[in-house]
Amino acid sequence: MSFLNIENVNKHYFDVEVLKSINIEINKGDFLVLVGPSGCGKSTLLNMIAGLDEISGGDISIDGQSMAGVHPSKRDIAMVFQSYALYPNMSVAKNISFGLEMRKVPKVERDKAVQKVAKMLQMEQLLDRKPSQLSGGQRQRVAMGRALVREPRVFLFDEPLSNLDAKLRVDMRTEIKQLHQRLGATIVYVTHDQIEAMTLATKIAVMNAGIVQQFGSPEEIYDNPVNTFVAGFMGSPSMNLIQAKVCKVEDKLCFEVATADQDRPLLLPIERDQQALVSYLNRNVTLGLRPETITDPGSANRSEGQIHEADLMVKVTEPTGADMFVVTQLGGTEVVARMRSRCGALAGQSCRFAFVVSRNLAFDGDTGDRIQ
Amino acid sequence: MSASSQDNALRSGIAWRVLIYSVLIVTAVIYLAPLFVMLVTSLKSLEEIRMGNMMALPLQITFEPWLKAWGSACLGLDCNGISGYFWNSLKITVPAVAIGTLLGAFNGYVLTKWRFRGHQWVFGMMLFACFIPFQIVLLPMSQVLGWLGLANTTSGLVLVHVVYGLGFTTLFFRNFYEAFPDELIRASVMDGAGFFTIFGRILLPNSGPIIVVTVIWQFTNIWNDFLFGASFASGDTAPITVALNNLVNSSTGVKEYNVHMAAAITAALPTLLVYVVAGRYFVRGLMAGSVKG
Repeated sequence: MSFLNIENVNKHYFDVEVLKSINIEINKGDFLVLVGPSGCGKSTLLNMIAGLDEISGGDISIDGQSMAGVHPSKRDIAMVFQSYALYPNMSVAKNISFGLEMRKVPKVERDKAVQKVAKMLQMEQLLDRKPSQLSGGQRQRVAMGRALVREPRVFLFDEPLSNLDAKLRVDMRTEIKQLHQRLGATIVYVTHDQIEAMTLATKIAVMNAGIVQQFGSPEEIYDNPVNTFVAGFMGSPSMNLIQAKVCKVEDKLCFEVATADQDRPLLLPIERDQQALVSYLNRNVTLGLRPETITDPGSANRSEGQIHEADLMVKVTEPTGADMFVVTQLGGTEVVARMRSRCGALAGQSCRFAFVVSRNLAFDGDTGDRIQ
Repeated sequence: MSASSQDNALRSGIAWRVLIYSVLIVTAVIYLAPLFVMLVTSLKSLEEIRMGNMMALPLQITFEPWLKAWGSACLGLDCNGISGYFWNSLKITVPAVAIGTLLGAFNGYVLTKWRFRGHQWVFGMMLFACFIPFQIVLLPMSQVLGWLGLANTTSGLVLVHVVYGLGFTTLFFRNFYEAFPDELIRASVMDGAGFFTIFGRILLPNSGPIIVVTVIWQFTNIWNDFLFGASFASGDTAPITVALNNLVNSSTGVKEYNVHMAAAITAALPTLLVYVVAGRYFVRGLMAGSVKG
């Protein structure tokens, strides 16, 4: 029996369908991340779990108990809002204990709970301040404290890090992950940042246009995306999606990819999903190549299977310090490869590329669905 | 830029400034002149006033006119001064402002945070109330006050002012709460706060600027009202504006200008006081919502 069960949930405002038959099940202690571009319905889904938005069809249950008609405050859920939603007129301590006060918890116990949470989040010295006297990171911490103090069955996070600057965001991300590991809490977390999704989640639901495109563990989503949307959305830099033709060379299936040199297309041997790809012989497909599967021969991981090497013209190099992103032209589009920072690639010159062909993915050229 | 042209720019800047300040000072003097005349006249004896020069400072300062205006000036046959009517005005204004402001806040809360079908229509009609001239409501209002048994009473005037002011107070609070973050309401709903708790504990404590604006607006309007006061209250229940009129228009005996001036200043004092105490919040409140801190 799953802990949080979202069953066939629909949502429409008048005639506009916002969410279409959403099915998600997670276990106790799971960290579910709803990720997708803005307007995909992820925040709506979160608000429906919270009870702040009504469900048009289907059911949401927590611990086997249907939440239909249950008031938000009676669901034993706590939420951290994007704007933190701290009450400006109350001190930090009051902000944290307000929910307990509304539940008629005696003052002595309230104070004790506030102290405990303040200690856990290392903000004892902030308790008497007003929210306006806090920095962004501190406000974020208070917002989490307000959720933690209630010890709810499920935590909901609505893009909690999007208002922080880049450095603080990474710190708070780690902190949230540690919190999850320490408390073993069940968390539903909404973000549009796929790195947050990958780093935090035990389960990811990638959403687009009101539909769950794929639901699974971060590894599944990353290594086996079901369509070009998921493939392109997850990963940074994103997966190269290029046009290729399935062909047969010396009885072996290959992807034929156009290069800058028209007479010499690149031939990449097909190692996975061969049976499915046979029916696509001589047809165009979309080939998905993660940047880290295109590299320089020196740093190619030979244990991952066959490495195919080819000389290609370098268009641009982007050194990041740790790596160098090398851009070349393949299948009519620009393709990013991830190489060592001192691999010697130079713009305008030819360079040796190594393809880890076992990691290549093929998608239907028309529907964008994965061929497997 | 060369030094000489810089000098020129500096000099023309100063010339400009002198011009601006002289215009401002002249305007201020013109604007304040009546108040000055009122003040000096109220401190002169009648003989001194008869000597003619309106703008002259009093040769001998006397507070007699002030005391007379407050306690013993004659309004028609009744010679108890304006003090009773001053308290009448307070008894009308304070409850009317308090009730009107609270109801406006409540309306604004419902119209922005608990929206129902047709909320725009309700708000639109309340807004319409702001454009209804006083004169139009006189007859129906007196009819209603008669039915309620509130004709010629202070509570009747309170009701009139609350009803008439509701359009404005609702407008102020609705626009203020429109910019109030919905997430705060959602957070308090999840915290378990009910309808009235959210209003009392979350919304009202964060409405300082707009409360000040509404209170100043309502206070000056209700305190300075003459038409409703003259129409719906008479004799002992009249507000100070009506009493002032009766005092000045009393045709018996000599015209005591010094007493009239003292009474007029007394009648204007509370609104002045409200502006001085809360005025700086007024501008801040009017700007609230337009710029986010």
